Amino acid sequence: MGLDPIRYKPWKGQRTEHAKRFLVITDHVFRQKLRSKWLLGIIILGSILVWVFPILIFSLSPHDSLTTEMMLETLQNDVLFIFVLIAASLVCADLISEDLRGNSLVLYLYRALRPERYLLGKVLGALLVMSLFTLIPPIALGIAVTATQTGPDYLASAEVIARTVLAAVLTTIFFVPMGMMLSSLTTKRTYAAVGIFMFFFTMTIVAGIFSESDINWQLLGPGNLLNFWYDVIFGEPLPEGLSSAGMAIMTFILLVPPLIVTYWRILSKGVGK
Amino acid sequence: MNDALRTVGHDDEDKEAAGTVSAKDVVMRYGNIMALDHLSMEIPTGIVGLLGPNGAGKSTFIKAVLGLVEPQGGTITVGGLDSKQNVLIIRDRVGYMPEHDCLVEVMTGVELVSYYGMISGMSKNDSIPRSHEVLDFVGIGEERYRPISSYSTGMKQRVKLAQAIVHDPDLLFLDEPTNGMDPLGREEMLDLIERIAAGHKSILVSSHILQDMERVCEHVIIINNGRAVAQGSLKNLLGAQEGRMKLVARGIPEDLASFIKYLEREQKVISTSEEHGQVTVVLILRGPSGEIFAAAKNAGVQVRSLTSDLSTLEEVFIRSV
Repeated sequence: MGLDPIRYKPWKGQRTEHAKRFLVITDHVFRQKLRSKWLLGIIILGSILVWVFPILIFSLSPHDSLTTEMMLETLQNDVLFIFVLIAASLVCADLISEDLRGNSLVLYLYRALRPERYLLGKVLGALLVMSLFTLIPPIALGIAVTATQTGPDYLASAEVIARTVLAAVLTTIFFVPMGMMLSSLTTKRTYAAVGIFMFFFTMTIVAGIFSESDINWQLLGPGNLLNFWYDVIFGEPLPEGLSSAGMAIMTFILLVPPLIVTYWRILSKGVGK
Repeated sequence: MNDALRTVGHDDEDKEAAGTVSAKDVVMRYGNIMALDHLSMEIPTGIVGLLGPNGAGKSTFIKAVLGLVEPQGGTITVGGLDSKQNVLIIRDRVGYMPEHDCLVEVMTGVELVSYYGMISGMSKNDSIPRSHEVLDFVGIGEERYRPISSYSTGMKQRVKLAQAIVHDPDLLFLDEPTNGMDPLGREEMLDLIERIAAGHKSILVSSHILQDMERVCEHVIIINNGRAVAQGSLKNLLGAQEGRMKLVARGIPEDLASFIKYLEREQKVISTSEEHGQVTVVLILRGPSGEIFAAAKNAGVQVRSLTSDLSTLEEVFIRSV
């Protein structure tokens, strides 16, 4: 190999703002994930099965306007749930676990980047990738159906699109915190990926078993929980006997504590090495 | 000046001050374990060796300077800035090469260095050419386009150094920089460290290879049980025991024996060894050297040499801990 007799040269440039450096991580995660053939395969296959067919069917069949029924029929589809779950597992599995396995966390945290901004960068990266499947296609569906409607009530269609955006944002966010937490608990991305999938799958099975006795058990199933939220967002009534407080608590449990645990793991691992 | 947008580029005086570290009475406890026990030290510009047995507090000190752990007492300043109040500004001025593997193996060398350059605040337009520049500097050629997983240990060490210097820090922490490198690679790494230091940087090197430290360090700080037990310029530390001399003498065994008895009586003898009728005595002079020559003449012993005897860094280290 050998060394060329090069003098060390200083760098004379201007640094970017500390507060914006997490965007470098977001951009990196997004680009890296788009290189994953498995993830791209899932997103393309899922999009064809879940979004392309409804776009074609709803657009080509005669319709006055975009209705909540059309969107609910698409969003409350079990196939969508399965594909979102697989995509979330593939997206989140290595986001923290790889940095723990390679001890590269220290290379982030000794720099002018606080742990919370490291986490923010990773989460935003994951959300950006997830949005390719969960945010952009439903909006595209809404726009395509509205563009081909025969009736004059575009305002009603626009309202449905707005509700669709809200539902799609929820779908995008829903699995990421738990995925990040499970990724931060292991140094093996395979364990993390299987763990994420199995966690939500097991919850679905448990919810299915116990919901015979009480409908509130359905809240344990992440797919059911999402469907109830879609009902709320599109103004449909919730099933009788379902606890709204229970829904809020379950949602909170899936979204907030996992991020706190992830932050704590980053903090302890970043200092520990 | 907005602390988020710091123009890099100082004149030499500013550079000298920017990388100096001063620690006063720093206390850091982990439960009942005292990691840093009222540690005080000054790190000037140039290459400074940080020595100490495992668990002495070296890593904790580095983490405290980086603001990764918060000491319970004392103050640490980097370039005059308090490490608690100016964590992010200080980190922009610091580069760190960890001892353990820390590279993202799926990335190529150039991707990794430019990525961490951007996280250190470089724009994309700056970080890519700068990455190539530092990779050229550390001696990574076309291999920079290969995934790091295919690199040898020596190449990984070079990439670790490259990511530490990509943002042109004033203060550089190098933890076991020659770890796992072959003799030629080790020499080259030490050469690189010297070349970086020539740019008025403070480089704190922690290593167990004392020959390496002796070769490159201008200053040495020895830590034990969380305290700085010895610190100063290498020259001063190695010659710390004034009057330490090495005497080589020849003669018949009886004469030599009586001469050594005289030395033991009149001087402070540290060690004596004999080989092929020649004795070597390490001693600390208690009077003028002329007395030794006179005593040798009386004993019928021929003094072949009497020279000052510098300690090795290893001896200083063992003595200190």
